[in-house]
Amino acid sequence: MAYDSLLGRGGRTEFLLGNEAVGRGVYEAGVSVAATYPGTPSSEIGDVLYQVSDKMGIKFEFATNEKVALEIAAAAATGGLRSFVFMKHVGLNVAMDSFVSLAASGVKGGMVVLSADDPSMHSSQNEQDNRFLGKFAKTIVVEPSSPQELKDFVVSAFDLSEEIGHPVLVRSVTRISHVRTPVKFGEVRGKNEWNYKKDTSYVLMPENAYRAQAAVANRLDRARKSNRSKFFNRIYGDSSTLIVTSGAAYNYIDEALQMLNVKARVMKIGLSFPLDQDGILKEVELAERVVFVEEGGPFLEEQVLSICALRGINRKFYGKLNGYVPMSYEMDVDRVVVFLSEIYGIEHKQTYGGPVLPNREPVLCPGCPHRATYYVAKMAMKQKGLRNVISPTDIGCYTLGYYEPYQMGDFCFSMGSSVGSSSGFTMSAEEKVVSFIGDSTFFHGGIPALINAYHNNHNFVLVIMDNSITAMTGGQPTPETGPPFKKVDIESVVRGIGINNVFTIDPYDLKSSLETFKKALGTEELSVVISKRDCALEADRKKSPSEMKVFQINQDKCNQCYNCVRNFSCAAFYTEDGKVFIDSELCDGCSVCSEPLVCPFNAIEVKE
Amino acid sequence: MPSFVFAGVGGQGIITVAIILGRAAVIEGKPVLMTELHGMAQRGGKISVEVRIGDYKSAIIPSKTADAMVAFEELEAVRNISKLKEGGMILLNRRRIHPVSLTIKQQNYPDQIVESELKKYATITVEADRTALELGNKRVANTVMVGALFSTGLLGLDEESIIAAIKESLPERHWECNLEAFEEGKKLVLEQSAKAI
Repeated sequence: MAYDSLLGRGGRTEFLLGNEAVGRGVYEAGVSVAATYPGTPSSEIGDVLYQVSDKMGIKFEFATNEKVALEIAAAAATGGLRSFVFMKHVGLNVAMDSFVSLAASGVKGGMVVLSADDPSMHSSQNEQDNRFLGKFAKTIVVEPSSPQELKDFVVSAFDLSEEIGHPVLVRSVTRISHVRTPVKFGEVRGKNEWNYKKDTSYVLMPENAYRAQAAVANRLDRARKSNRSKFFNRIYGDSSTLIVTSGAAYNYIDEALQMLNVKARVMKIGLSFPLDQDGILKEVELAERVVFVEEGGPFLEEQVLSICALRGINRKFYGKLNGYVPMSYEMDVDRVVVFLSEIYGIEHKQTYGGPVLPNREPVLCPGCPHRATYYVAKMAMKQKGLRNVISPTDIGCYTLGYYEPYQMGDFCFSMGSSVGSSSGFTMSAEEKVVSFIGDSTFFHGGIPALINAYHNNHNFVLVIMDNSITAMTGGQPTPETGPPFKKVDIESVVRGIGINNVFTIDPYDLKSSLETFKKALGTEELSVVISKRDCALEADRKKSPSEMKVFQINQDKCNQCYNCVRNFSCAAFYTEDGKVFIDSELCDGCSVCSEPLVCPFNAIEVKE
Repeated sequence: MPSFVFAGVGGQGIITVAIILGRAAVIEGKPVLMTELHGMAQRGGKISVEVRIGDYKSAIIPSKTADAMVAFEELEAVRNISKLKEGGMILLNRRRIHPVSLTIKQQNYPDQIVESELKKYATITVEADRTALELGNKRVANTVMVGALFSTGLLGLDEESIIAAIKESLPERHWECNLEAFEEGKKLVLEQSAKAI
């Protein structure tokens, strides 16, 4: 198997993705239980554990959502086992309720929560800086800068967590989790024994919660003073300018200083909360000016400035709070050069501006069943004379239905938000509401909202785009995945709520799907269309060579009506001088475009 | 300490190419960093991967410092051109994948912008897709590009380590055709350089 190399002995070096290094780290740390819900940029950690957790002696599972995952890990830690939960940054919002309780209760076995943040929102709805959530919840916060540190810090975070009896949040970002570099393995530790004793600190009813607050403050103070905390921070360089930095932002400092030919004393903070106040203040006092370079919000900056204010220390400070350092988006050497040149008073040439190019929006894959679903849904609305339909959508590949030509994405906040917002639109709007959600997202956050909609008599059409996989994060299993797992059937879940208008369609069958959609749109109460067809990438993996075919346009028959490119809009189509072609390298052979409902002239045929 | 940008469209095997080079560097005990961006789409979206061999901390290549770009698609070559240093080399697979936003409006591929930008750099055309088809497996086009890049001499890596990295990165049943593709890629660049002289 691909990830077996992660089981190798200490001292070995492998070329690893940051997330793969995390997989090795939890093995080294002697973790017993781990759980997640997939989300980029954290997904590959789950891919590793899904494949090799058995060999690592770790009980691992994909939970239905991040809150469930966190509770799985928290329970394991009450009995002294080391446990691990990981997610993308916005996943921690979902887990937040129990996350805050976790810090209040403390842990017996080491427990690490890893959040992979996504500055610049490469694949997310925001770029929230979860260090703030760690501090808010009063957990310890640790920030690595490289894949090697990601692994090493995870291991040390477990040691610190267990020593203090407090959870640790490890904050990664896209440019650590998705960077590949040689990573040197450490030794693999033994695992803790299950040693559970009943303890009121896990029962956060008011009287226990009241006591917990004092215990939390005490634990954080011990974390600050622990000898282990020294492991996470580094300082080097000789200059009256002190740069306080952390995380991926640190990686750009040295090269930027070199380009500008200037010097700085660099203080790299790995333990971002609670801060080593004395160590940092000693450095600030020696400096003439202090520059804060961090990705996300002014997390270190605010903490250091408040300590300085309390101790009456004033220096020239440069950071996000006074506009010297940009507040948003990920850093790189170019950006750091721009603001450091201003701070150091060095003239810096503007960088190259390229030509304006046509964009290449992300697209649904050729053969994707979602395309067929959107195509018939739109056609059904048109045939029913429905204009200005409001279409909330959700988080998954099908979010791409937002783009032309489907343009069915009017509201998208978070996992499951399509269903809750549909209730709100139904209560407020005169327009018809047709919303879209994927199977995994439905299980994650859609079910409570659908119960709400049914119970409160809301009338909208919910389309569950069921491809039986968590496709956008790379094809992780869902509750519909079969043995060894128990398979959950979406239609039974929906009917179990009490909803009667439930229609299951195969979106590749355009004609019958169209009729079903029209029926659902004509229903005067809540209805659910389950559009069921395997993800095309998964289906391709199962195809035999004889099933491989591609299509082409018969130019003699093509009437150049452009319906295929304007409305069906498969990524394999292209036009040149008004003629339509199919790129045979891209065609998936799904045959949907050859249906008369897409090509009324039967011009799309199998290429021999 | 060379830096390389790999640009193309999801599904072209670009990440695999970069992993092969990264592993080859590891085999030689050289420090290497690779970073990839692939956005939301599983297939058909723009992809860029950056590889830096040497003692760097930043995986992201600063503007105008990459020694070469390996482009699997023409428009994506131009999109990433600002990373390339002046006089930097482009290895260009002659492949055009039309963005859907143009096709919807029945517009042609933007040849003119592409050509005028590529002219500014030392561009070597590598018919990787065609060569792969001639070898009987369109999926090895990316390994043709590895061979081409090796031939430029910019990598500073030995042939043996690249071959070992190819074997490390692919299942044994795919070794033969990929090693053949690597050889063909090498030849394509050598032939062009010979013509240039």
